Amino acid sequence: MKKKKRAVPWLYSAPALILIGIVVVFPIIYTAYISFTNMNLYHWNDFHFIGLENYKRALLKADSGFLSAIGVTIIWTVVNMVVQLVLAYFIALGLNAKGLKLKRVYKTLLMFPWAMPAYVSILLWKVCMYNTEFGLLNQLVTALGGSKMNYLAENVPAFFACTILNLWMALPFMIMMIDGALQSVDGSYYESATLDGAGVWQKTWYITLPCIRPIIAPSAIMTTFTTFKQFDIVYLLTKQKGSLSGASIQTIITYAHQNAFVSNNYGLSSAVSILIFVIIIVFSVFTNRGLKEE
Amino acid sequence: MTRRKTKNLLRLTFLNIFFIAICFLALVPILYAFTLSLSDGSSAFGSGLFLNPKHVTLENYRRILTEEPFLLWLKNSVILSVGTMVVAMGFATTASYAFSRFRFKGRMKILFLLILLNAFPQILSMFAIFRLFKTFGLLDSRLGLILVYAGSMCIFSIWNLKGYFDTIPVEIEEASKIDGATDLQMLVKIVLPLARPAIIVTAVMVLIYVWNEYLFATTFMLSADKYTLAGGLYQLQANDYSRSWSLFTAAAVLVSVPILIVFFCIQKYMVSGLTAGGVKG
Amino acid sequence: MKRILSSLLCGCMIMGLMAGCGQTTASSTADNTEAKESGNDTVKNEDTTEIKIWHDGDEAIMGTIESDLNETLKADNITVSFEKKSGLTDQLQLYGNDAANGPDMYFYAHDSLGMLAEMGILAPISDVTDVDALDTDLNDMTVEATTYKETQYMIPVYFETLLFLYNKDLWEGEVPTTTDELYDYMTAHTDTDAGTYAVVNQHSTAYNVAPVINGFGGYIIDKDGNPGLNAVETKEAISYNQKFAELQADGDYNTVSTLFNEGNAAAIVGGPWLVSSINDAGINLGIKSLSEFTLPNGEALAPYSGVQGVGVMKYAAESKKDAVEKVLKAIAGEEVGVDLAVNNNCAPANEKAYENTEVTSNEMVQAIRKTADTAEPMPNIPQMSVMWGPTEEFLAAVNKSDADIDSAAEEYEQAAETAISDMQ
Repeated sequence: MKKKKRAVPWLYSAPALILIGIVVVFPIIYTAYISFTNMNLYHWNDFHFIGLENYKRALLKADSGFLSAIGVTIIWTVVNMVVQLVLAYFIALGLNAKGLKLKRVYKTLLMFPWAMPAYVSILLWKVCMYNTEFGLLNQLVTALGGSKMNYLAENVPAFFACTILNLWMALPFMIMMIDGALQSVDGSYYESATLDGAGVWQKTWYITLPCIRPIIAPSAIMTTFTTFKQFDIVYLLTKQKGSLSGASIQTIITYAHQNAFVSNNYGLSSAVSILIFVIIIVFSVFTNRGLKEE
Repeated sequence: MTRRKTKNLLRLTFLNIFFIAICFLALVPILYAFTLSLSDGSSAFGSGLFLNPKHVTLENYRRILTEEPFLLWLKNSVILSVGTMVVAMGFATTASYAFSRFRFKGRMKILFLLILLNAFPQILSMFAIFRLFKTFGLLDSRLGLILVYAGSMCIFSIWNLKGYFDTIPVEIEEASKIDGATDLQMLVKIVLPLARPAIIVTAVMVLIYVWNEYLFATTFMLSADKYTLAGGLYQLQANDYSRSWSLFTAAAVLVSVPILIVFFCIQKYMVSGLTAGGVKG
Repeated sequence: MKRILSSLLCGCMIMGLMAGCGQTTASSTADNTEAKESGNDTVKNEDTTEIKIWHDGDEAIMGTIESDLNETLKADNITVSFEKKSGLTDQLQLYGNDAANGPDMYFYAHDSLGMLAEMGILAPISDVTDVDALDTDLNDMTVEATTYKETQYMIPVYFETLLFLYNKDLWEGEVPTTTDELYDYMTAHTDTDAGTYAVVNQHSTAYNVAPVINGFGGYIIDKDGNPGLNAVETKEAISYNQKFAELQADGDYNTVSTLFNEGNAAAIVGGPWLVSSINDAGINLGIKSLSEFTLPNGEALAPYSGVQGVGVMKYAAESKKDAVEKVLKAIAGEEVGVDLAVNNNCAPANEKAYENTEVTSNEMVQAIRKTADTAEPMPNIPQMSVMWGPTEEFLAAVNKSDADIDSAAEEYEQAAETAISDMQ
């Protein structure tokens, strides 16, 4: 009897776990397998095992460029997540204010950026906002009497340009999550707190945040990973083939793409992928703290 | 009393102005895109174009709707996204319920492992999935794509739903257990209605992911009439040399509209069932 | 009680599973019936051979070729279909060995030839047909371009070079014949703040700077696969190009082509692919070959030429040899060449096509053909595929971020060498 009881949760989660095993775990194992072979242009069909050779080469590539890519990626993730969470929290709070009649309209409008495929949004921003000749930013600047700027040519402005675009693309989801979480907070908590004479900040700190934390933690962590491995924004804005913008910011993934994938050396790039995966695991040990429950 | 009223009025006015400003900021690129989509190909761009197109025309929309298999792509997108949603949500709901309610060995380990797996950049899986599909004859089939999409969204869904299930007090279930309800009955009759906002948000997330995905869709589907909307439009516009900006923006607007309609429709179901369920701390 | 409960649960779980699968089985049966239907189709037209060609180019050009081929090959019961695949080389890496799902042939520029040939997915043309007989009418430069390691892997169909395209209504006086005079004209007629330009060019794109680099005697990569970004001549060329870049807007494709189409730039360095949008914009277009401009060293600008042609996948060369041979003969023929020139302003690889009066009167085609005298075919060795990145980063660093040429040249030469060694 007891044994059967123990099998129940496994039974419940089996379909999902099996599917994940096929679609997510198998490719990782396969990548690991390829990383031990010399599969490349010259050995496309007749590749064989070469042991740890690729890893040796991948580690040798871990030069200063790679280290600075890690640094940039961490700054990028932290800046984006902090700004995103704070902004989303206040916007969601505003949306939940009593008596705001147009709430549904605002919510729908704010979701708009989310409804567009990522590559469309990025190209739109590249051309409609940041472009030196036709971008809205430079139209505004020249209208105010300034001279045209190239937002993507230098690293620091390009970093901010990427950050703003990432916020634009990611905020809708965060707002939606936090908004949902805020609605689940039991109103009676606030009533009794008000009776006890608690102020706005105290209520936020002791009631709202603890209540919504378990609900938004999963999506916040998921978003952290998505931000960490964000590729499209940096790549399409600054490194698209044929229209490089001049900025040379590299995140881990763009660095790997440039150094391993362009060469069509699948063995080497698989080794680099696995190494990056290991780095992400190490990175997540730090974020792990946010996951602890109970 | 009146002072409180005016104070409230001020507060609301301020909030409304704030939101109008924020919405405007969020919509600027889209408005620009919309203006572009209404201009004819040759005069796209040019100074002072914003909200003031030179030659207003619906030609771009006509071209996409009639010259491309738009409706076919729309149908493919709907089939794929709804299919994925059903599979992913079906699997994830039961799994996350198990992870939320049962304390079994290795529970946290698996949860943590799942999140790590999610960190593997999916683009790197392309080659392996190709091999897998080829072996099982899933290339060029919707089933294959649905499985890949569902598998990759399952992790997110499990985590998201589990977080919400955790906030539902176990007491409710215990009460109904005494009434003789089985676990599954409880899940369907009590937990799911209470978790409605979370389930809707997660489902929409899955839907949007599939709706906007183009890389797998164009790699594993081999004929143009099997593409999804995002995939088909990507294929049309991927090349710098073939890109017409007015056409591109028109396509972008057309892809987004169905999603926006979905957003608007689900809004009223988004109010939490928790407070309505009559559970107080 | 508990036993009942757990068995009930099991039952429900299985139900749940089936519900999940029900969805999938339903769609898989749908797929099966679709497959059957298409299977029936092929059974019905048993004697027709279908040839599937993947491309990543202009639909209008492919349309011209497709209809010509189907017309010619109707008698042989061969139908040809062109399918657009973006990211073609990536797709060929996956599907190049997959006879069931991959294409029979591909239509693409010749510069990725070496890479695909090394992967072993292409059949030499001589496996399918008598190459020498086919080549007699074809332009020598295009044959050279489609030959890798002394084996021809592609049949050239048409070729492209960059041209000097100008707006006759905006350009004042004669177009200069030396690049120095051109530069003087540009300094006099450019106002970057007002957004009006004399000449625009994708000044940080390797393909568009190649005319200067080659003209100066520099090189991006030599025949043996050695990068030449830090060669003295290359550096000279890039610093010469930088002067021009300052007066050529952002240099992004969409930016420069829009500037020209809207009449904000009097001239653009670009290829035939721009013409349809230029005509739509109603611009009074003048064309001049880049080989008519002389650099300070007395040499003419020498752009890369890109040869577009078809290659055959190995499995198709075995299983559909006869059909493939007929397609190759037809596509190399005079008729396709003439139609491409007349309908799409392409310069055909078939020399006989140039005897047609409509072709000789086509200004664009003649300009491209003339440029071919000084043009160099893009390198087709596999190493070229990793050279675009470092070269363009080098150009962008110099033109957009004011990097020092000498140190940047060393840095990106190093990057290029690493990239090449990573291929092995």
